[in-house]
Amino acid sequence: MSDPTSSKPMARPSEAEETIQAIHQGNVDALVVNGPAGPQIVMLQNAEQPYRVLVERMSDGALTLGADDRILYANQRLADLSDVPVDALIGRSFASLFDSLDLTGAENGEATARLKNGVGGTPVSVWISSIFIGGVAAKLVTITDQTVQERIEAVVSAERFSRSILEQSTEAIIVLGSDGRITHASLVAEEIAVRPPIGARFSEAFRVVGKDFPVAERLDLMLATKPFHGVEVTMQNGSRRPRAFLLSAGQLLDETKSAIGSIVTLTDITARKQAEERQRVLVAELNHRVKNILAVVQAISAQTVRTSPSLPSYNTTFAGRVQALAVAHDILTRTQWSGIGLNELLQNVLSPYFGASQDHRIKLSGPPVLLPARTVVPLSMAMHELATNASKYGALSCPQGSVHVDWNVARNGTTLVDVCWAEKDGPRLAAGKFGGFGTTLIRRVVGHDLGGTVELDFASNGLRSLLKFPLTAHGELNDLIGGAQHS
Amino acid sequence: MSEQDGYNLRLYIAGQTPKSIAAIANLNRLCEKHLAGRYNIEVIDLMKDPALAQRDQIVAIPTLIRQLPEPLKRIIGDLSNAEKVLVGLDIRPT
Repeated sequence: MSDPTSSKPMARPSEAEETIQAIHQGNVDALVVNGPAGPQIVMLQNAEQPYRVLVERMSDGALTLGADDRILYANQRLADLSDVPVDALIGRSFASLFDSLDLTGAENGEATARLKNGVGGTPVSVWISSIFIGGVAAKLVTITDQTVQERIEAVVSAERFSRSILEQSTEAIIVLGSDGRITHASLVAEEIAVRPPIGARFSEAFRVVGKDFPVAERLDLMLATKPFHGVEVTMQNGSRRPRAFLLSAGQLLDETKSAIGSIVTLTDITARKQAEERQRVLVAELNHRVKNILAVVQAISAQTVRTSPSLPSYNTTFAGRVQALAVAHDILTRTQWSGIGLNELLQNVLSPYFGASQDHRIKLSGPPVLLPARTVVPLSMAMHELATNASKYGALSCPQGSVHVDWNVARNGTTLVDVCWAEKDGPRLAAGKFGGFGTTLIRRVVGHDLGGTVELDFASNGLRSLLKFPLTAHGELNDLIGGAQHS
Repeated sequence: MSEQDGYNLRLYIAGQTPKSIAAIANLNRLCEKHLAGRYNIEVIDLMKDPALAQRDQIVAIPTLIRQLPEPLKRIIGDLSNAEKVLVGLDIRPT
């Protein structure tokens, strides 16, 4: 745009001054300039007004520099930042705005500087772009308050930090606003909520069940007003099983210690409760079993005394029976009362008789059978009695004798196990030799404890004993147990 | 109205710009108040014919020219400052 005042000599100097003054004061909005085709109208205000409004309202300081780096224009934000009125900024040198100024990188990039003002200076970033105004070189500069930026970044960072805590927390954390509605919820909280929690009241998003807990309105009021810690509650989420939680609530305070809401945490204690229950059952069961064992030991002792001819005989017999009982309990402990294969049980119970010199004297054979825990003690005791008897009077009492234990499983409604103990090449055995407590014990444990039957046949070539008992649980654990091939 | 005691005014505007519209309104109001029955206003829109600017050496718009009574006087701007307009045009209030 050419200078309108020089397009034609003015009639009087005062008129030229008046024109310039009117333009400067913004009293005109169009100029007449002489173009190649004669006079033309150039609009002043309409074209730049939107940009002027934008620049005046922008949150960054903005200014224009002339060729001598003096300020031609500054917006109100720059005046606010520098504590200098706009009128006083016009004509000042750009460098005088700053404590120190290194504009390296500012040209079409950003540089940092410290803007002078009444509050000890403000860190700012400076951006400069070169332009031409009416053919004259000038610079456009924006100045951004970094304290604001830093504050925004700190707020964003704090928010990210809070979100991260909420997302990573293994507890359900719920933040309630001053209106009692949920503003934040951790991932765990969202999982146990019955609806999307944000914006809802606590009682709407979380279903607390239990007759001792307050109704919804009172619960919401309680959470908003009353700090408490570790109240045990049960929560229901749809068709899932109820879970147990510890509910805690406390006020959320701002920097002036005023309550602006509350924080509720829910700690899932379902697993802990289940463990406590399991522990309680185990202790009760242990108590029950110890009493049973003591009763069994007491009965064995009494019966052994009655049938032993001498104290040494009592000692040997009683110790053997208690040892058999101990082996049976070892098995139960090792298998955590989950049962054991019949083959493995026999190998454990009969191990004292698989001596190096008697390797091939006891043969075991039969299909895989998983014995339930309740059969372990009675069957172990019966087998111990049979083996003890064989070693005293039967096939295991002479070098050429042997024992063959084989078994079968029959399924006919219930599952029945037949265990056959057959002695061979032993001395002829009279029923009287084996008619003491040993026989009684076998009949009692098989009949009473296993719910089965026992047949004892004192044949001339050795004792044959057939034990039949039902299994309430059975299994064919090929991998774990395998068929017996021990000999 | 005789030409000797009347005011012959010529207002140069540029279409419907805010200052042009304001200048027309301000001028009409001033004239009605102080020159009732003694004035004639000619509004010239330079958007329609920019060449007319040459007649009175117009460089800024709006501009008011007092043709009569002589000497020729000019006021640049939207004429919102009534006192400045009255002084500038040497108008003697009735």
